Amino acid sequence: MTARLVVEGLTKRFGGLVAVRDLSFEIRPGEILGLIGPNGSGKSTAMKLIMGIERPNAGSIRLDGVEIAGWPAHRVARAGVGLVFQHSRPLHRQTALENIKLALLPDSLTRLMADHSVTEQARAIGESVGLGRVLDRYPQTLPFADLRRLELAKAIARNPKLVLVDEPFAGLTSAELADFSRLIAHFRDEGRAVLLVDHNVKGVAALVDRVVALYLGERIAEGTADEVMRDARVRQVYLGGSIEMHARPAQLSEARSLLEVEEVSVFYGKAQALERVSLSVRAGEFVSVVGLNGAGKTTLFNAISGLVPYQGRILWENAPLAGKSAAAIARGGIVQCPETRELFGDMTVQENLNLGGQHQPPAEERKRLRWLFDLFPILEARRDQAARTLSGGEQQMLAIARALMMNPRLLILDEPTLGLAPVILEQLSQALERLRETTPITVLLGEQNVRFALSHADRVYVLEHARIIWEGLPENFAKEAGAAYL
Amino acid sequence: MSRRVLAALVLLLLLIAFPFVASGYLLGVFTIAFYFGVFAMAWDLLFGFAGEVNFGPTFLIGLGAYAAGLLNVRGWPILPAVLAGAVAAVLGGLLLALPALRLRGPYFGLVTLVAVLLLQQVIVIFAGVTGGEIGLSLPDVLSVDARKNYWYALAFMAVSGALLYALSRSPAGLILQAAGQDPVEAQALGFNVAKHKLAAFSISALFSGLAGALMVFYLGTASVDTVVDISVTVQVIIAVVLGGRRTILGGILGAVFLIGVGEVLRPLGQLSTFVVAAIALAVILLFPDGLIGAFGRHRRQA
Amino acid sequence: MLALQILIDGFAISALYALGAVGFTLIFGVSGVLNLAHGGLMLIAAVAAWYTAGELHAGQYIGAITGLAFGVLAALLTYFVVVRPIQRSRAIPRDETEIFVLTGTLLWGIMIQEAVAYFFSDNPLTVPALISGVANINRVRVPFNEILVAAISWLSIGLLWLLVNRTRAGKALLACAINPRGLTLLGFELGQLYLLVWLIYGLLVAAAGVLLATFLGTSSGNTGALTASAFSIVVLGGLGSVSGSLIAAYVVGYMETLTAYLVSPQIRTIPSLLLLVLVLYVRPQGLLGRR
Repeated sequence: MTARLVVEGLTKRFGGLVAVRDLSFEIRPGEILGLIGPNGSGKSTAMKLIMGIERPNAGSIRLDGVEIAGWPAHRVARAGVGLVFQHSRPLHRQTALENIKLALLPDSLTRLMADHSVTEQARAIGESVGLGRVLDRYPQTLPFADLRRLELAKAIARNPKLVLVDEPFAGLTSAELADFSRLIAHFRDEGRAVLLVDHNVKGVAALVDRVVALYLGERIAEGTADEVMRDARVRQVYLGGSIEMHARPAQLSEARSLLEVEEVSVFYGKAQALERVSLSVRAGEFVSVVGLNGAGKTTLFNAISGLVPYQGRILWENAPLAGKSAAAIARGGIVQCPETRELFGDMTVQENLNLGGQHQPPAEERKRLRWLFDLFPILEARRDQAARTLSGGEQQMLAIARALMMNPRLLILDEPTLGLAPVILEQLSQALERLRETTPITVLLGEQNVRFALSHADRVYVLEHARIIWEGLPENFAKEAGAAYL
Repeated sequence: MSRRVLAALVLLLLLIAFPFVASGYLLGVFTIAFYFGVFAMAWDLLFGFAGEVNFGPTFLIGLGAYAAGLLNVRGWPILPAVLAGAVAAVLGGLLLALPALRLRGPYFGLVTLVAVLLLQQVIVIFAGVTGGEIGLSLPDVLSVDARKNYWYALAFMAVSGALLYALSRSPAGLILQAAGQDPVEAQALGFNVAKHKLAAFSISALFSGLAGALMVFYLGTASVDTVVDISVTVQVIIAVVLGGRRTILGGILGAVFLIGVGEVLRPLGQLSTFVVAAIALAVILLFPDGLIGAFGRHRRQA
Repeated sequence: MLALQILIDGFAISALYALGAVGFTLIFGVSGVLNLAHGGLMLIAAVAAWYTAGELHAGQYIGAITGLAFGVLAALLTYFVVVRPIQRSRAIPRDETEIFVLTGTLLWGIMIQEAVAYFFSDNPLTVPALISGVANINRVRVPFNEILVAAISWLSIGLLWLLVNRTRAGKALLACAINPRGLTLLGFELGQLYLLVWLIYGLLVAAAGVLLATFLGTSSGNTGALTASAFSIVVLGGLGSVSGSLIAAYVVGYMETLTAYLVSPQIRTIPSLLLLVLVLYVRPQGLLGRR
């Protein structure tokens, strides 16, 4: 059988960064291919290149023999390629039904009469994905899983020959996961070709027919899910070297409670991002919160940092944080290093660090700067470079160093390992270890990378779909909660 | 038939009957208001639907007005002149939009604003032809009867409103909303966003130009102060915000309200502009969803 | 000597343009606001100076200081009454805040214009020169005041540069223009920073207004043109780039001066407008702006 999609020598550069390097693979009709890789491996870029949202620098993309590389996105879509984005993007001013109707419309300027059959068709599709009862509601009133269903419905409506799905299971509960797997498998059974993009082999193993593993933009393995999971190069690259767990030096462990999160809920419109979450952090502890994309880690941290409104109580040193501005909370000792890092790209490393130390007396600031340069020597070497010219790992180190300049009591790290190569992970790991051994700092770490999270934790929480579903010691994690993680 | 359409029809009947009880002066006020209503609806199509902020509707209005006026001075009868004015506005609009739509953020708005400034300068420089700041006196007018002028304006506004409203509720209108709200998603669904935005701009230009041309034939003169002025832009935007963005028909309500308030305050003399601006500012700060828009919001929160 | 006259006059006019434009770009870069009441604020400063110096007979120095004070007050009022409520409003969706601020400041500018015309005068206003007398440079007569205008403009811009690049507060403002969220995470109260930037903006725009009154005079009908020229220059130079505004101000200033002297004063704004259109089509981010 001839392939539906043939990708050959695909390459994409963003300035000096090569996101995708000489990538080749094919997908046959009635097949589900998994494109797997950690963040920064180029899998999302590859998907965008196929869809026409980005243009490749080199290489060929052929759909049923027709070269589509470099075509604008709407043309690729009309040629029969459908895309389900990782983050749902419904039109907020239209109902769910109208969103599906849109996907059924041809690209015509002159359609002035509403077609009854289109509405009927849209309704049928909506029902087939399980949205039957909410079709006349607006997206901001729908729960997370229904928004994902809506994205699938839009894809179905396009009747695509090739479906691209980005992180299909992010943020879904195990029950919803089974449902979605069924819907995606249905695509395959209808004879379409499906490309699943994900960072977790095990999560999609049951669904995919074949897997292509990516790392730093290149293909490193291909085969069935089992074969790829056993591949030596894959294991080395994804799991990194052995990251040992270090025991906490006894004298730094105190029992005093520093941060108490009590029954905190956060709503974005009608969608619930956190549901009655409770956790506590004691002075001197390293606590990890483990969870996938969309689980609610960032929301939790933003609630603690005062960046989003919440219900419930958050106590810092036994006093409620409610009513304090985000900046005041940061000055009060809770410093967050967010997932997006929020560096001042056009300012130098030195200037970024100086801004971090703005609230310290000058002598103290100089001392901390010296200490941080010892902790992260690469930053000293690059002190006069603009922050945006640093590599991903260096930027992460700068973000953490800048946060440490504020002399925090509690350091919140949100996904620090995102997009970093294992070598950098090692350096980060060592830096965290030094922090743990030499300072009384308390750390709250949010991570998808379970290994990293476990090796730096005194206690672990698991956050899934807005709720805490497990709490315990890292050594008990594997046997009690580790089912869904590689 | 939806409640909105029913309400609109009732209102229309009342408006048709209005001249039998109102003075010539009052009819004149409403006539201008109706033309502004069309300006507002055309602007709402572009902003509310295609998501583009046009700071120079007065550019399109002015092109239509002056093109029609200049041709009329050269002997063209009213109807062909008006149609030519509309075509001029569309052509001018395309010239502006083709490159401008590639710009993002505030730049598109700024380009449209600059277009207005340029048009003003051109008219003033070629004062020999255009009458400059004094204005162009037109040989023909639509009618000398206040009632007839009123009904012409009302008819034009009603037809324009019906067409634009139908467009906004049509599949084409849905695509336009997608193009304005989330162009990347719209592209992924197979829609050529640039094409649709250009079409929206052209339609907006068409109606703006038509209304501008008809309005000068009502007034009997075309001058920079009435058709190519930043105050026109301000009034159009305020009218849409007052009436409710993305409702199309709200533009009519907003225009009538605005022009009406301006007239009511006329005795204040110079201070009237101040008061209108102050009221408009208060509305923006306190009722950003406007009059009709407030209803739509409740529906969405349910 | 015409060339020297053009050179000197162009320099002074450009300097004044630069003062106005730099303020405009500062408030956009840090606060995200395209202030269409810019001309109105200059007018308030000019009127306050004129009234105090003339009608109250306090002389031009008191007048200038009063003008500065009222200009700053007006700027702060703009922030608290118009801009901040819109930025904080929950009823306005995030992606439409910009257009509401634009319309709001436009209306505010109109209100200022009409109020001044009604309560004071809509005739051209001038303030007596701060330094009287005329210098003779190579047989070209240049009023001392004109030299002073250029000097004060450059001094102000220089002080601003020092502030932004050499002080902690200034660096914080710069960071605010790049990434306000980052600053909040580092414990900076954005509210205080915004207040600071509007204060600085107020000083700059008030100075521009007072100097304009002593140099060329202004009137309530002029405010639109003042705002238009400021943002044309800022867009040309690149939104948010102070050095870009400086360069663009000189380009525009000299183009206008050359046109006015060599062709006709009536059409002096045309070449710069055409340049602006060209730049917007070819390089919309301006000379030194970033995408």
